[in-house]
Amino acid sequence: MTVKNFWLSVRNVFRALRNGDLLLRVKADKYYIHVMYAFLLMWISIMLSLQVDKTLTRAGANKAALEELRIHHTESEAALVKIKSASATETRLKKLGSEAAMPQEPATVIKKK
Amino acid sequence: MSSRESEIRDTIENRDRIHVVMFFLSLLFLALGVAIIVWVVKIQTSYTVDDKVIGLFRPVVQKHVDIPVRGRILATDGRPLAISAPLYDLHMDCTVLKQNYIDRGKDSLERVWQDKARLLGAALAGEFREKSAEGWTNAILTGRSKGSKYLLIRKNVDLETLRRIQTFPLYKEGPYRGGLIVEAHEERIYPYDSLARRVIGYVKEQNRIGLENSYDSELHGRDGYEWRRVTDDGSWVRDLDSTSVQVQDGNDIRTTLNVDFQDIADKALRAQIDGDDEVRAGICIIMEAKTGAIRAMVNLSRGATPQTTLWERENLVLRQVGEQGSVMKTVTLLSLVEDGYVKTLEQTIPTNNGFVPGGYNQDVHILDYQRETGRRDISVMHGFEISSNYVFTYLAENYYGKQPQEMFDHIYSYRLGEAFDFDIPGLGTPVVNRPGTPGWSRTTLGTTAYGYSISVTPLHIATFYNGIANKGSMMKPYLVESVEKDGKVVKRFEPSALNSSICSPATADTVTRALRAVVNTGTATRLKKARLSVAGKTGTARVVLSADERGGSRDPYSDSQGRKKFQGTFVGFFPADPDEEPKYTILVTVYSYPSHHNFYGGTKPALAVREIVDKIYALDDTWRPELRPTAKVPLMTDEK
Repeated sequence: MTVKNFWLSVRNVFRALRNGDLLLRVKADKYYIHVMYAFLLMWISIMLSLQVDKTLTRAGANKAALEELRIHHTESEAALVKIKSASATETRLKKLGSEAAMPQEPATVIKKK
Repeated sequence: MSSRESEIRDTIENRDRIHVVMFFLSLLFLALGVAIIVWVVKIQTSYTVDDKVIGLFRPVVQKHVDIPVRGRILATDGRPLAISAPLYDLHMDCTVLKQNYIDRGKDSLERVWQDKARLLGAALAGEFREKSAEGWTNAILTGRSKGSKYLLIRKNVDLETLRRIQTFPLYKEGPYRGGLIVEAHEERIYPYDSLARRVIGYVKEQNRIGLENSYDSELHGRDGYEWRRVTDDGSWVRDLDSTSVQVQDGNDIRTTLNVDFQDIADKALRAQIDGDDEVRAGICIIMEAKTGAIRAMVNLSRGATPQTTLWERENLVLRQVGEQGSVMKTVTLLSLVEDGYVKTLEQTIPTNNGFVPGGYNQDVHILDYQRETGRRDISVMHGFEISSNYVFTYLAENYYGKQPQEMFDHIYSYRLGEAFDFDIPGLGTPVVNRPGTPGWSRTTLGTTAYGYSISVTPLHIATFYNGIANKGSMMKPYLVESVEKDGKVVKRFEPSALNSSICSPATADTVTRALRAVVNTGTATRLKKARLSVAGKTGTARVVLSADERGGSRDPYSDSQGRKKFQGTFVGFFPADPDEEPKYTILVTVYSYPSHHNFYGGTKPALAVREIVDKIYALDDTWRPELRPTAKVPLMTDEK
């Protein structure tokens, strides 16, 4: 390519740029579908990323809820166990004026024949 | 010029204008493109990174450390003895929004905030009654005027209370408007308060005791971490591009303890010693005969003065190494029977007015025996029943006097001379004054035969008696059954023997007969009417006083006022009828402050054992009678 041709090409490029038909001149329109496909992929990637964020947020909230339930369960269990001991029950019954106390005899077991 | 020409000229001029505009726009974009290329080249070659600018583009991430939930300590039936849950400390930033209102000159908003603070004060007074509504309001408003950013509301509130408080006026508007500061900290909860606390133990910085200490590596779990990033909507989520370590919660420890037995033993012991200011401490061990599994271990003691309340202060069962007194006579008897020196329990020895030659003190109880019966001999069985020191000194001197090592070999084979491995570290090491040791003297053999000159822990004694209950197989006492993860067994600890044959079954039967006689006609008759037959031995021992306690006295067993410290023990097993297999071994010891009174094993300890045995009889599945149908009952269903 001569220097003259080179400058001619540069001038043509600038002209095409000025006229807004550069992409048409280099026949970029035949890659239109690929360009659209790339955009679609990018769009899907962004959407998936947002969905992942949403799922992770929901997982975090569920984890916090589970942790809260665990704490609630632990506290309830401790409270229940505390009042369930035989001597605590006996003391409570006594305070309520009941004569019920710990058994003196073992419970009888009914056996099937 | 015609109108047609004029139109054409206008069109050409319009086109020229459009071309000019498009030309400049193209030039603009071209210039921008060139600028971008130049900028890219510059960035690639000479641009220096400004951290502030980079920070704006870098995703915000934070390292989040996950603290594992400490494993639970469970009773044998799965009831929790120690569990972890967070508790919350509540503070209040009283100055919240104050500056904002002042800057904006919004006095009316400040008044609204203060009105809400009054409502908050009333709500807090309903929850925390240490202050009135006015008191809480004053505290908040004074804090606001003085700029208090950390007013204490309450420490250690549970989740339920926290959630309730978060619905109070002001607080329900969130921390940035209400000023509530919530700080969580993991707390260990012991639902049964003091019950078995010395066994369960705790871990507080450097202070570590009990199972919490010895199984800390299992209970603790492993810390984890993850990096978190902020999402577009401001939530924090795990950053999947970064490294993370999964947190591992601690394993659970399932103990052999039976909460009901522990509760029964604790209450029975308290009933005997709580009102008596001369009693310093009381302990109880209940052990399953067949396996050595410890079902209850109570360690109640007072502080330095009798005014202090009974509490699980120290693990006396493991650490109180001391002379155990007459309960050691069973050790002597077992050795004599096993060696064939005592062939039957009815074998007699001369009474000799209670004197054993060789520098021993006279046993005055033998004089009473001679006076009451008119006899000059006494059977081994009767000597055991009345717990005669003379009889056992005589027997030891007579049969082991020439080879005392023979008796000490037995003592070591009963594992009474060493600290064996146990689930809680710190089991006291016995002190045995055998021949050749500095503590050995002419009378050591005889005094050892009735429980002095040899110091062991209560756990050693209980383990030894359990060996007799188990027909000679001495099981290793243990407290932990298994290590579990989410309800599944990770590691199981099977029962094991310390000595699988300390004696023959026949010897064990003979000694059991003697132990039954102690309850039926000897020093422990308070147990005669227990709901299950009990075999055991009482023991009363003087305790050596410390130099401070002696206060100048030269007698190691008494202070300057002649007061002595005693320990009274009952140790045995039940049921003990010949046709029944013993199921549990039990030991109860009561320790006194220096006192003028004696504390016999046949009194408070035996009474506590009686109550425990009666209650276990009623609760344990073993003794439940079965009701079987004696006639055919017609079926009430369609079942053919």
